[in-house]
Amino acid sequence: MPSIQRLLADDEACRGCQACTLACALAHEGAAQPGLARLIVSKDMARFEFHIDYCRHCDDPACLAACPAGAMSLDERGVVLIDDALCVRCGACAEACPYNAVCYLADRDRYVKCDLCVGRPEGPLCVALCPVQAMLLTTEEMAR
Amino acid sequence: MSYGWMGRLLECDLSSGSMRERDTLAYVDAYLGGRVLAARLAWESIPARCDAFAPENRILIMTGPLTGTLAPTSARTIMSAVSPRTYPYPWYTHSTLGGWFGPELKYAGYDGLILHGAAPEPVVLEITDRGARLVEASDLWGADTRTCQLRLKERYGQEAQVLCIGPAGESMIRFATVQHSEENAAGHSGFGGVWGSKRLKAIVVRGTGAVSVADPEALLRETLALGVHQPTPLSANTLPGETYARRRAPVCSQTCTFNCQVAQYRRTADGRRMPAFCIGPVWRAEAGLQATAYEGAGLRVPPTPNFDLATETHLHELCNQLGIDMWFRQVMQPWLIRCRELGVDAIRGHALCPEDATWFEHLMRDLAARRGLGELLGEDLARAMDLLRGELPEELITLGRELEFDFGFPAHREGRFWDEEPLPFWVISAMMHASESRDPTIGAHQSSMHLAYLPLADPETARRQLRRLSERVWGDPEALEPGYENKAPVAIWSQDQHLTIDSLTLCDFAFPQLVRPLGGREAWEQADDILGDLDIDRRLLAAVAGRQLDREALTRIARRGLNLERALLARAGRSRSLEEGLASHFALPCRDDGTRVDAEGYGRLLDEYFAARGWDLERGWPTGETLQGLGLGDVAAELEVLRRQERA
Repeated sequence: MPSIQRLLADDEACRGCQACTLACALAHEGAAQPGLARLIVSKDMARFEFHIDYCRHCDDPACLAACPAGAMSLDERGVVLIDDALCVRCGACAEACPYNAVCYLADRDRYVKCDLCVGRPEGPLCVALCPVQAMLLTTEEMAR
Repeated sequence: MSYGWMGRLLECDLSSGSMRERDTLAYVDAYLGGRVLAARLAWESIPARCDAFAPENRILIMTGPLTGTLAPTSARTIMSAVSPRTYPYPWYTHSTLGGWFGPELKYAGYDGLILHGAAPEPVVLEITDRGARLVEASDLWGADTRTCQLRLKERYGQEAQVLCIGPAGESMIRFATVQHSEENAAGHSGFGGVWGSKRLKAIVVRGTGAVSVADPEALLRETLALGVHQPTPLSANTLPGETYARRRAPVCSQTCTFNCQVAQYRRTADGRRMPAFCIGPVWRAEAGLQATAYEGAGLRVPPTPNFDLATETHLHELCNQLGIDMWFRQVMQPWLIRCRELGVDAIRGHALCPEDATWFEHLMRDLAARRGLGELLGEDLARAMDLLRGELPEELITLGRELEFDFGFPAHREGRFWDEEPLPFWVISAMMHASESRDPTIGAHQSSMHLAYLPLADPETARRQLRRLSERVWGDPEALEPGYENKAPVAIWSQDQHLTIDSLTLCDFAFPQLVRPLGGREAWEQADDILGDLDIDRRLLAAVAGRQLDREALTRIARRGLNLERALLARAGRSRSLEEGLASHFALPCRDDGTRVDAEGYGRLLDEYFAARGWDLERGWPTGETLQGLGLGDVAAELEVLRRQERA
């Protein structure tokens, strides 16, 4: 059985170009706006520091446990997915996530999260397009 | 639904605070966006011979259809207005800046801004999803650009993006910048002073809307195919002590996924990272500084000394914070050092100590406040020479004028004082210098900088490759052969390409991709065909906006823009007689190969270029036929009236 793959982000390397968020938004929502992405890249100008909120695909996902509607499931890759048809928009998953990685798209009234670009054999777009290798795809063992 | 464009322009009368919206889509077929759209709007709204500081002057801030999308480097923002820097009198010109402002403006629902009038008190223009309004900003007046941005981010959130001026803009010095983020600026054209004259301290924008993309899959495909690469095989982008990720590092703009030479960073004394490119002496090693020295035809530009790293970092940041164009130092410091070499130790009672970092910092603060020596030099070097003529040795006056030979803009991409450009590259630049509203840095980054460095690295390899490239791009293998004739096609091609880039918008360091990514010098030396993909811009436009425009259509739009800019120059009173004044600079020997032209030779360059553009040889103004052919009949009619008035 292949190792479970995880995202690993490096805040120190990030420069805030938003290529990851825009690619994510484009692939999943078909429009260009960083706020439509499944990850958040933020910058603190006062400190010139960047921070990436992203899904860790936890072994024991708090988001999944918190969902009262059975809208979240774990696929064979170890990735938590949201079934929008079952989602009751309660926000429990977003509240439970310790990594701020479940995003609410207000204008679309939907909760969304990283699916590691399911269906894209080359892997997640955020990793492919990061010019500074701040986003990496790694196995659980490598991440340790 | 419109793909690419948001469909609205916001027009704000700063005098009254009134706002109105205009339809972008009424313009995009003919003017696309960005710089070409700005030129059209300027033609329609800025009065003839308008002063830069007059309330009637318009500040145009434009994005393009690609801005805010994933298209690589597409976050560029165009700013234009009548500039206070242009010498000897104000005329319409432009600047571009990277960063994150343009995308955020589109997310707030606007393709561009048109600002006019003058507010009675300092104001901030606030733009959010809820709309736009002017907010009283006396508390921010006097704040440096970093403080101003941080305060506005405290109020509007870190995601808000800010354009603002510093004390230099408030004092309306002629080379004051409009700043954004740490390093991005509309720098050269002095628009900070225009903002100051309108008491516009800042624009803060926060939007949550999205740019609609016609074919998201195609945009992703194009972006992934472009990948991460260096636009030129010779750019040294590695810095000692940096990790691999950081060598491949940073970006100066949203969606810039390229590894270009602009992204050279160093660490500041307190651990922050600062860009190290295009800021001349700030980071140059001693050997590099010697290379900036120039001697020829009786003129000497002395090398500019470095201060220590911490001091240079401080001065660099101070420039950004005061809102002063960093290039002021490229011209003023060597000029001041030359003053000292010639025994001039004071000007109008102000002692000169340009080798002293503390004195230099005081000069910068005086410039920003227009006091002491800053009152004189805040007029910029070219105008200061007029004021000092007769007070200083004539060599200093001549040097000051040549350092800002291009209508008050710092010498750049001209093969003499700054930049390595052997024949024929400086000839191509010379045509662009004469015909454009400002120094043609943008148009010359690809055609001159990226190509001109190749023969300097290895003449034989470059000649072989450039002949093949010339044949394919311009249909003439001789197009880049060293010489003075038949160079207009390359100059015109470069300008047309860059009008397109500035209208989409894309970064001129990355596009057009005249040289394909080669991965380094060894691969370059072994390559026969170095031509890149010149249709990336078309494909990105098709993916984002769903419009299949061929090269001819894009070129026609670009030419509309350049001819509109030229007509705006004519309206301001500029014509060939003024442009012939640039001949003295190109009579100086080229720093690489010693080549030059006399006034007669320079005139022949103008003849060739004007004729190829469809401009009259007497004034260098677009002919009626040229303008009619571009669908600019209203412009043709006004220029005809101007011609009649001049003849009378």
